[in-house]
Amino acid sequence: MRHSQKWTASLSTAALVLIPTAIGINYLGKLFAGLLKLPLWLDSIGTILASMLAGPFIGAISGILNNVMFGITVDPISFVYAITSGVIGLVVGIMAYQGWLANVRRALIIGLVVGVTAALVSTPLNIIFWGGQTGNIWGDALFAYGLSIGLPLWFASFLDSIIVDVPDKVATVLISYFIFTGLPNQLKGLYARHNDIQEL
Amino acid sequence: MSIIQVENLKYQYPSAEHLALNNLTFTINQGEFIGIAGANKAGKTSLCMALCGLIPHFFKGAYGGNVLVNDKPVRDTPLNNLTDLTGLVLDHPFTQLSGAKNTVFGEIAFGLENKGVPRKLMLERIEEVLHLLHISELRNKHPFTLSGGEMQRVAIASALALKPDILLLDEPTSQLDAARTTEVFRMLANLADQGTTLIIAEYNIEKMALHCHRILLLNTGSAIDFNTPRWVFSRPDLNEHGIVPPLITRLAKSLHIKRDDGLYPVETREFNALGGFVDA
Amino acid sequence: MHKLSLFVDQSSLIYKIDPISKMMYAMIAFLTPYILPHITAAIAITALSFSLLLIGRVFRHIVPILGVSLLLILSIVIVQGLFYPDNATPLFQVMGLTFYQEGSEHALLLTLRVLNMLAACGVLILTTPPDVIINSLMRLGMSPRVGYVLLSVLNIIPHMRATMARITEAQKARGVELEGNLKTRLKSFFFLMGPVILSSLNQTRERALALELRGFNAHAPRTFASASGAYPLYKISRVCVVILLLLVVSWRLYL
Repeated sequence: MRHSQKWTASLSTAALVLIPTAIGINYLGKLFAGLLKLPLWLDSIGTILASMLAGPFIGAISGILNNVMFGITVDPISFVYAITSGVIGLVVGIMAYQGWLANVRRALIIGLVVGVTAALVSTPLNIIFWGGQTGNIWGDALFAYGLSIGLPLWFASFLDSIIVDVPDKVATVLISYFIFTGLPNQLKGLYARHNDIQEL
Repeated sequence: MSIIQVENLKYQYPSAEHLALNNLTFTINQGEFIGIAGANKAGKTSLCMALCGLIPHFFKGAYGGNVLVNDKPVRDTPLNNLTDLTGLVLDHPFTQLSGAKNTVFGEIAFGLENKGVPRKLMLERIEEVLHLLHISELRNKHPFTLSGGEMQRVAIASALALKPDILLLDEPTSQLDAARTTEVFRMLANLADQGTTLIIAEYNIEKMALHCHRILLLNTGSAIDFNTPRWVFSRPDLNEHGIVPPLITRLAKSLHIKRDDGLYPVETREFNALGGFVDA
Repeated sequence: MHKLSLFVDQSSLIYKIDPISKMMYAMIAFLTPYILPHITAAIAITALSFSLLLIGRVFRHIVPILGVSLLLILSIVIVQGLFYPDNATPLFQVMGLTFYQEGSEHALLLTLRVLNMLAACGVLILTTPPDVIINSLMRLGMSPRVGYVLLSVLNIIPHMRATMARITEAQKARGVELEGNLKTRLKSFFFLMGPVILSSLNQTRERALALELRGFNAHAPRTFASASGAYPLYKISRVCVVILLLLVVSWRLYL
């Protein structure tokens, strides 16, 4: 046990290398979803896989850096949602640790929780930055309708987010779950922290 | 002067069923050029990993015995302190690129930057290895756009730039053509002459026979033999260990051309001196 | 290999400013319309950001970036103009819909903020290559490990894009359909993503151990092979940025 500190250091290299890979997978998911004209973004598969493999911390960093890099290189709007992406990684990582990856039904719950949390975090951002919209036609139509029937702004904005986020996040988490269960055990153990050296 | 001492080394990967390294004991001296020979799964890669400390520090698993590098026990020395002594070149050229650099020059600089080598010295070393590996013309290319052979030479250059006392190479010529392989082996032999200890795991028996001082023959994790190429390749049971001896040795065996000490020659010149005739 | 970047390779005054000054400008400019909620401030800072783009000769390169946010801006103008909760004074009518003054003013402020955010970021990212930004931050003291991750992203994404093109071709040849009903396309998504994900995750192990042996976790203070870039306007640009900051803060205090 006296070696445990060193291993954390060497382990975190594998986990660190996982982060750019996760960001690459996010990007690829977005590209393929576009190529196949899927009605979803599917742009956080990498972040969610990183959380399932290496835990909430690595997942959160993957999410945040994903948006920072996307902001620098593609679209600055992406900076605004760095927090949302980070929280997604955090939630998946924590739920994965607590055994929510046991089967599809439980994974579905992760998807729902992630979708609702993402909407909760995005709502104040959307209100501060764009007065409550998301830029998604269907969501914004619902937002407008909500305002016209006198719903409070924050609630209309939350509905706007949730109608966009929940289906996408449920799909993304389920896809990530199926990919995760198909990964070889050797790979899953690579980023785990609880492995120690035994005596021979 | 011994630089590596291995005593009863045993190792098993996590969730593996068999020992990858089984009770190895041997000593390697400074400036030696050692070849590790053996079939697939003989333990060649694992031994390289154990000598540089990635086993057990990176791979964990079950470990027994001792590896001393420069009298430091690998097991109790943080990987960080070991990396000043040992360099490693792997067979897969793409994954040993750092992935964070957009030129070959920057790629070679990566390790030097990490270790805080002063800029002036760094630039000198980079020029030196670019020249040594004949890759000066690649310096501004993006590492990801190189061919497998070019990547492999960049990987060797990157390891050499750190001036390790011990350089471990795991199939470093798998992507190189015959001419480049010859070139790389000559360069390595030169390095050994200058005092670097070299340990190479290879399938290229011909080149190992020609350049290595000693051959460590492994089979399923155990050491079968550790002796001069002549000695090892004269063994009658090489077949059982998945090794085909060098062409010259096979020829000498079939023609019964032996040295006074009963061993078969491994190189053309000696073969001819003993009365055979092969055009060099 | 196609680069992942919005950088425009040319030269102008803005290119002579160091990345850190530009980054500070982008942050201050981005925050200004929130610190000073008055519309005059938003107009002033947005005008400044766009002038810098003009001076930097990258104005036309900001247009596609603005285009991406066009939908968002349109939505802001329409929804706020029609349904802003404080709406009271009708401004004009289109197709029986009444746009209100309060909502339209609010929409103007929000739109200015979006435009300003994009233009302020544009001053930095159109005139500075991303790896130069990251290296400047590392010289400033950002952890080399974080720097490594960010620089890797710049290389890994073009690499993955190339892999994607290869895989799409290969899988098409094996009969994976890119068109069809949702179920077919979703299935194709797995066929396309699966192999890349598996291979790229497998590569992380070997890359990690190769990094370990190249001093990735070394404690020595890091050095740099490249000379830090020469930025003749380094001092004056820092002074300007600080003046801008003081201006914004004192305006706020004066309010």
